[in-house]
Amino acid sequence: MKLRLSCQEMSRLLSAQQDTDLPAPDRARMRLHLVMCEACRNVDEQMAFLRRAMRGLADEPPDPPAPPPGSAG
Amino acid sequence: MGHPVPTTNAMVKTLESELAELHKPLLRFAQLQLRDEAMAEDVVSETLLALLEKPEGFEGRSALRTYATGILKFKIVDALRRRGREQPIETADEQSLDDAIDALFAADGHWREPPAAWPQPDRALEQAQFMAVLQGCVDRLPPRLGRLFMMREWLELSTEQICTEMDITANHCGVMLYRARMQLRECLDVRWFGGAR
Repeated sequence: MKLRLSCQEMSRLLSAQQDTDLPAPDRARMRLHLVMCEACRNVDEQMAFLRRAMRGLADEPPDPPAPPPGSAG
Repeated sequence: MGHPVPTTNAMVKTLESELAELHKPLLRFAQLQLRDEAMAEDVVSETLLALLEKPEGFEGRSALRTYATGILKFKIVDALRRRGREQPIETADEQSLDDAIDALFAADGHWREPPAAWPQPDRALEQAQFMAVLQGCVDRLPPRLGRLFMMREWLELSTEQICTEMDITANHCGVMLYRARMQLRECLDVRWFGGAR
C-alpha cells in the first residue's frame, strides 16, 4: 500500500470523509498526511466549516424587503 | 380578568395574514433552491395549502415560519427528486469545473497555491453578509451540482438517498460533492476570507 498521499488525493478524501466512513488504511494515511501538511489541515478545517455554514444557511427564509415608506398596503 | 380568548375566526385571519407575509420569503427561498419559477411557485403553493388545511399542526411546537420552512424543505426535496431523474449525466459546466479543480494542483499532486487558514471562520457565521456571500457562491455552482450539494448539506440527505433519488452511482455522487466543496471553498476564500487576511 502506498503510504503517502498527494495533496490532490488528500483533497478527495477530505471531501469523502464528510459523506462516508473511510476504511482504516485511508484514515491512517490521512492522519499521516495531515501531520505533515499545513495546507491540507486548512482544507480539512474549511470543509468542516462549510458544513456548519450550510446548516446555518437559510434555515428560515429571510424577511422580505421592507416596503418603501408611504406605499399603500 | 384574563385576556379575551380570540375567536376561531380571528385566529384564521391571523394565520392567513401571517402566511401572506411569509409568501414572498418562501418563494424566494424556493427559487434559490430550485432555480425554476414555475416549480418554486408550485412547492410554495403546496406548502401554504398544507398550512391552511392543517393549521393545528404547528401550534405549540414551533414558530409558523420555522414550521412552514420545514414543510417547504420536504416539498423542495420531492421536486428535486422528480427533476433529478431527468438530468443529463454530465454537463459541460461540470466538466470545466473539474478542469479548474485539477488546475489547483501541480503535476506531482501538490497544491500550486497552498490554501491558507481562514481567520476566525465561526465568527463569520454570525454575519448576515457572510451568509449572503455563501448563498451567492452556492448559486454559482453548475445547477445540477448545486442541487445535489443542497440535498446533501442543507436537506441533510445521506449520499445513499441522493444516489437513489438522482439515479447516479455512489462514486459519481462523491465526485460531484467533491467538486462542489472545492468550488465553494475557493469561492469563500476569494470572496470573503481573502479580504480578511
